[in-house]
Amino acid sequence: MMKRIIYLLLIIVMPICALANDEANVLLKKGNDQYAKGQYKEAITTYQKIVDDGHQSALVYYNLGNAYFKNEDVPSALLYYEKAHKLSPGDEDINFNIQFANQKTTDKIEAGTEFFITKWWHSFILRFSLTTLSVLTILLIIAGSALLIVYRFTNSVSIKKWSFYSALVVLLLGFASMFVASRQDQYFDAHHGAIIFSTSVNVKSAPTLNAKNLFLIHDGTKVEILEDNNGWMKIRLASGNEGWINASDAKEI
Amino acid sequence: MKIKLSILTLLLCCSSLVFAQVKFTASVNKNTIGTGEVLEVTFSINANADRFAPPAFAGFQVVGGPNVSNSISMVNGVTSASIAYGYDLVPTREGEITIGPATIMSGGRPYSTTPIKIKVVKGQGGQSNQQAQQQSSNGPDSRNIQKGRVTDISKSLFLRTEVDKTTAYMGQQIMMNLRLYTRVNIANGEPEKIPDLNGFYSRDIKSNNPNTQWRTEIINGVRYNVTDVKQTILFPEHEGNITIEPSIMNFIVRQQAASSSGDPFDAFFGGYEDVKYKVKSTPIVIHVKPLPQAGKPVEYTGAVGKFNIEASLDKNDVKANDAINYTIKISGTGNLKLLKPISPNFPADFEKYEPKITDTITENASGSSGNRKYTYLLIPRHQGDFTIDPIKFAYFNPATGRYVSLTTQAFHIKVAKGTGDGSNVTAFSNAGKQDVKVLSNDIRYIKTGTELNDVGSDFYGSGLYYFLLILGPAGFLGALVYGKWRDKNNADVVGLKSRKAGKVAAKHLASAKQQLNDKKAFYENLFRGLYGYLSDKLNIPYSDLNREKIAEELKARSLDESLINEMLDTLDLCEMARYAPVSGITEQQVFDKAQNMINNIENKI
Repeated sequence: MMKRIIYLLLIIVMPICALANDEANVLLKKGNDQYAKGQYKEAITTYQKIVDDGHQSALVYYNLGNAYFKNEDVPSALLYYEKAHKLSPGDEDINFNIQFANQKTTDKIEAGTEFFITKWWHSFILRFSLTTLSVLTILLIIAGSALLIVYRFTNSVSIKKWSFYSALVVLLLGFASMFVASRQDQYFDAHHGAIIFSTSVNVKSAPTLNAKNLFLIHDGTKVEILEDNNGWMKIRLASGNEGWINASDAKEI
Repeated sequence: MKIKLSILTLLLCCSSLVFAQVKFTASVNKNTIGTGEVLEVTFSINANADRFAPPAFAGFQVVGGPNVSNSISMVNGVTSASIAYGYDLVPTREGEITIGPATIMSGGRPYSTTPIKIKVVKGQGGQSNQQAQQQSSNGPDSRNIQKGRVTDISKSLFLRTEVDKTTAYMGQQIMMNLRLYTRVNIANGEPEKIPDLNGFYSRDIKSNNPNTQWRTEIINGVRYNVTDVKQTILFPEHEGNITIEPSIMNFIVRQQAASSSGDPFDAFFGGYEDVKYKVKSTPIVIHVKPLPQAGKPVEYTGAVGKFNIEASLDKNDVKANDAINYTIKISGTGNLKLLKPISPNFPADFEKYEPKITDTITENASGSSGNRKYTYLLIPRHQGDFTIDPIKFAYFNPATGRYVSLTTQAFHIKVAKGTGDGSNVTAFSNAGKQDVKVLSNDIRYIKTGTELNDVGSDFYGSGLYYFLLILGPAGFLGALVYGKWRDKNNADVVGLKSRKAGKVAAKHLASAKQQLNDKKAFYENLFRGLYGYLSDKLNIPYSDLNREKIAEELKARSLDESLINEMLDTLDLCEMARYAPVSGITEQQVFDKAQNMINNIENKI
């Protein structure tokens, strides 16, 4: 029985902590060195290569964002910071740098004030990455099930008692983790963001060129994508203003 | 004074009348006139004369006169004098009117003229008729003038409000002229009431010359001194009939003193008197037509006249935060001052200020013309290529009765990245970003990890995720099923024992087989094997096992009698063989027999 559980765990952990290939690690080291020497352009190229190879890592996104920032490309920096944030929502460094880079953007957008419980709840569900939560959920559910099995087959009354209550606790934790993961998933689903890349964009009232200009936003501003329509995006600012922009003016996070 | 005149008359009479034949005649410039036309009547005498008494002019209105002209001429030592009295008359009715005789005294003798018959036909000139009426209506306020001279002044001094058109479109300019017509000396004049011109936007034309400009004009054959008191440009503000109220002016008229004798020489020697006189113009109605709706351009905002528009930009290649001047110039004739502000479509990213409006407008007798300039100060805040869209401007041309649309050119502006830190001022936020609390001077350093942990963000919700998720519960369910099955089996202890009996027996038989050579051990083992088998199979405790019990139990399970007896025999044999030698049967045969029996029982139970 124990052997089986260990195998299961291995199956779970294997794809998640997939052994990143050596080449990517070498590139990462090279990029870090270039960054340390102040060769930000070269660092961008190096990091970008890792990303282009299909590696999704909060670490490399964050470093790439930093390199872009140092190269005074704030919109790109923000794009990669936000990508990193999505993978690792609880990371302080990432969140700090997003905040910092946002000061360099043109538009000052007053976000509507969040109710403190909502705010607390968001920071709670964003504490861990979705993958971490997924793995945690699986491990907890499996552990809970295993404890229940132990409860079922043991002959010792004390073990039976102990395993039953711990199984309950572990399973509850597992369900909680699953719930938080689903909330986080929904949060990113609902907050499907994009970063504006054009220097100045007229936000229109309808997805046509001759529609009225509602307001103006500039590069680096984060918008929420509400809808896609024929090369037009319906966006919403943190302040609540909504409108249409050309899809080419922004890059999705 | 009178003495002076008498002496002069006497002298004149003495010198000439003796020789001359005195003729006193009346003449007219035409015998047939239309109503409203002016008839000039002249009474002349070729001698010195006095006490001229004009006829009553019944049927006529006196609009001018008497114009007295004296002339003294000397030809070949002969001195001749003549006096002429001229009147301008306007018939008051059609038909035949007779101008009665005028009388005069000359050389102590009275003379009179012969009456003249004038035929008055219906006049063709409606205008002169109208003017005559207008003149008559310009009559003086009888309260303010001295009696006896009323008619004379009212015909010689009047105000007229003249407009260049009485029908106009809304916003079309109308020239209004307040003119003073006079044939008398005016010592002083001041306006009492100037119409407030409700319903019009008005602009007074300021004359450059402070002195009153007099010119002469002949109306119906009568010469008047005319001056423009006030010139105004009017722009009707609403449709309908708008009345221009009359203007009133007070004058002090210096005129010849009225002599009771009617002696013209009184005046000649400077006898005059000042008369206060009030003059009022007639009201005029302007018919204001609405602008046609047909063909009205969208961009039309009310310009009426004839215009031209041009736009200019002082530079189109700038750095961010550098100021640009964009100028729109509208020039032409019309209601320039009433133009609504133009709102050009500037790129939203430009900071724009209210335009500076510069008017260069002259208002003169030909109307209001000039140009109006709107100068916009623009500050592009961000780099990029921008376009200032063309401006559409429309005006209504009252001369053609059509709308005209004009468009200016578009401008392309290239904005380069600006210097300085001004880029944080935007059109979107009205406050700078300086108030954002600066948390630190730099971003946080990169994460220097060298191991790349690829995190598949798409793991959540993937098939693998769900598979692993149900693995635990599925395993638990499986365990439950297995446990239940196991419990069920474990609960049947008897069955288990009986199922195991064969195996146990086989074990004993196997050990017995090994001791085929050792008779005693063989039978011992065989006996124990059979006994143990039966004990397990028949669920009889080992201690309770005996021949009768076995037989009974086997019988209860409905085994063959022969098989039961065989079993009992075999058991007996085994028991016996432990203590005494067995003959007639080999160990091998006994073993086979026991095996057969067990197999038979196994098959049956």
